[in-house]
Amino acid sequence: MGLLRFKPIPSGRMGTLWTLSTIKNAALVEFGCMGHMLYSGVTLKHGGVNDLCRLYSTHIDETDIALGGTDRLEHTVAGVIKNDSPKVIFFLPSAVPEVIGTDLRALCDELQQEHPEVKMIPFGQGGFNVYQHEGIKNALLTLVKSIPAETERTPEPSFNIIGSCADLFRFQADAQETVRVVEGAFGMKTLCVLTSDTCVEDIERIGSAHINLVIRREGEAAAKYLQRKYGTPYILHRPYGIDGTAEWLERIGRMLGISPAKEFIEAEKSIARKRLEPVMPHFRHMARAHQEDVTLHLGAHADVVGGILSFGCRELGFHKGICWCDNPDMGTDELPYYSEEKWISAVEGLKDGLFMSSGEILEWSGRSLSMQISYPDRLWHLHPFEPPFMGFRGAVNLANLWINCNIERW
Amino acid sequence: MFDHLKKLSAVKSGNGIKFLSPAVFPGNHCPMRIASVIVEDIKGLSSLLVGTPECATHSRLFSPLPEGRHGELHWLYVIDSNEVVFGCREGIMDALRKMDRAGAEAILIIGTCIPELIGEDMEGLIHEIQPELKARVAFVMLGQFKNVSYPPGSWKTMEAMASLMDSAGRDGMRVNILGRSPVEEHIPRPALLDHLESAELKLRYLAPGASLDDFRQAPDASLNIVLSPFAQPLAVRMEKDFGTPFIALHDKYDPAEIEKAYADIADAAGFSWNGEFDAEKLGAENLQAKAAERLKGMSFVFSQRIDMPVPLAGYFTGLGMEPLLLHLEEYYPADSVHVKKIKDAGHDPLVCRITHIAEDEKLIRELKPDVCFGYFQKTDIQCVSDMYDFYGQTGYGRTVNILKRIFEVTGE
Repeated sequence: MGLLRFKPIPSGRMGTLWTLSTIKNAALVEFGCMGHMLYSGVTLKHGGVNDLCRLYSTHIDETDIALGGTDRLEHTVAGVIKNDSPKVIFFLPSAVPEVIGTDLRALCDELQQEHPEVKMIPFGQGGFNVYQHEGIKNALLTLVKSIPAETERTPEPSFNIIGSCADLFRFQADAQETVRVVEGAFGMKTLCVLTSDTCVEDIERIGSAHINLVIRREGEAAAKYLQRKYGTPYILHRPYGIDGTAEWLERIGRMLGISPAKEFIEAEKSIARKRLEPVMPHFRHMARAHQEDVTLHLGAHADVVGGILSFGCRELGFHKGICWCDNPDMGTDELPYYSEEKWISAVEGLKDGLFMSSGEILEWSGRSLSMQISYPDRLWHLHPFEPPFMGFRGAVNLANLWINCNIERW
Repeated sequence: MFDHLKKLSAVKSGNGIKFLSPAVFPGNHCPMRIASVIVEDIKGLSSLLVGTPECATHSRLFSPLPEGRHGELHWLYVIDSNEVVFGCREGIMDALRKMDRAGAEAILIIGTCIPELIGEDMEGLIHEIQPELKARVAFVMLGQFKNVSYPPGSWKTMEAMASLMDSAGRDGMRVNILGRSPVEEHIPRPALLDHLESAELKLRYLAPGASLDDFRQAPDASLNIVLSPFAQPLAVRMEKDFGTPFIALHDKYDPAEIEKAYADIADAAGFSWNGEFDAEKLGAENLQAKAAERLKGMSFVFSQRIDMPVPLAGYFTGLGMEPLLLHLEEYYPADSVHVKKIKDAGHDPLVCRITHIAEDEKLIRELKPDVCFGYFQKTDIQCVSDMYDFYGQTGYGRTVNILKRIFEVTGE
């Protein structure tokens, strides 16, 4: 990545850690210097993740590196089992063991034989050129390959959410809204919200669900695996907007062969529209006469940008402005990836419009942090019940942010 | 349970200290953290942090903005896989050129684990590129596998500032105060400093909060007075590089030692005291006599958050207390004097690093100490906590405050 002014694209290791950090009744042991885990823990706490998966480190020193010593790992695992009795221990290498070529997978196999009562799962994806999304994708895939038990389909329809992870801004609120609308529309029970609101036992029965709702592209490999293994169908979509959410629910119904509760969907649409009603004349006027003020400039995860853009443009008549995704492997002609240099130049050129991006970019560019839709930032987010961006309630929240942004500008 | 730990007399550096229990949760700060905080607080100093995406990301927890208020640049250099194999020399040199063009006045390179592991030769790199640049460049290597906790991030960064200093003629009235900020609001000002100013000495404060210019001009002082363990290595380096003598106050708790240090300062600066400290000294001596009587024979343990555990343990041992276990965040070369004191008093406590306080507290209870010092989670341990309150304080006043705090807890 070279010289940067702002935070780099997180590594695969960071993506893996953020994915695993919310799984209860599990422990994670990072083989490496302890500062990594200390500050990852601080970053997670900033994002509202505290003491879910127990996050341990072994630390390593010069002697361990020079002699290839791995005693610390063995002792740490023994200590973790004694202290916490976790059902599963995840293993993560840090940068130094990766460089010196420590075979964590082989060590994990040995430890598994010593401690057969605890499932041990090694994770990789830490290389220097591996980005966050690869870590998340592989962590989700490894979880569904390693933990689920042989299981029967639940008698009543049920579902999993795949891809709700701590790296996405407002991940808890978005997951809660997603669960609310699916449960409301189908009366289905959630089996597993992978991984933001789950435990080892939930993942064990993930194969019992009737459908997997994948809310980010990194979750598709896991969903495909579950489809092959358990025959569970899946839908990959991140639902935003009033119509967008309703259409997504209809799609789920078609896939399951059951109709969503019309009264629920109509009631939700009606509530959301009523909320928006007072500002719609303003939005319509702006879209017609002051296009630049209702032009959406968005920079975030590709699925987040795509979803918000779809709501704004398709349902409110807004216009697409400068939009980019924050990962080079997800860039397309329609939604390109912007490097730091490119987004700095784009943001410096922005004058009008509705600009939503990371807290870091908004703060640097002197804009309101209320328009934050992605990390990084430097604030605390202790409250898990902030308004979502997804779903019916997310649509109201977004519209509220946009009208206030307009008012501040005028 | 404690068999794996070394005795204090067997420890010769920070690297030989074993963890009390193996599973680290959450562990100690990385030295990079302190370095990031310090560079952000020195006006005019820019920095280039070199490391992995993790290091670059986490450094922004402490130094969140890429540009400082006075044009400083705090930029990041993220190493890729190619550079892990072939080195990051060219990339860093190019980054320095860009920072130079962008107006950096002086740049401190902060090397983290991977540049340290691959053996990147920062000294050679700087030697090669310095003639091209207007900005002066220095470096500090802070791989955590070599620097287990945060103190090296502080003292090595401060020490590295000597590389940015300019040789100068001596000003007989100038004294540098190392380890106290010129804009300090939280740490009470030691009475000594006012008395030095009354003696018409010109004080210059060298710590985070000072400016790059303060550091550059520092070799003109006739004396360095050290108030913090984190600044002593800088004093040692300045003595070596510029011949500036230093007197350390931070590790002196005994009134007799404090009196001698004050006399040495007056000697070095060419003036005499006129009983300015007599009342303070008498108060400290009286309290110390009471402490020697009442605390004698009490065993103690040091936990986290004590800035100078070895000198303080040496002082307590001199009062007749018995050290059982010391958590050492760092072992400083100057600690050896205090180790000898403790040994001479017939003690050789275990030393450790506490990296999982919840579990380690259980182990410490097994030692059944009469009193503990530092940070503990459980409140039922008889503990003199918040010892960092005394960081940066020196002299008789600090000794009095510490002893009073002990009496408050022990009810003596």
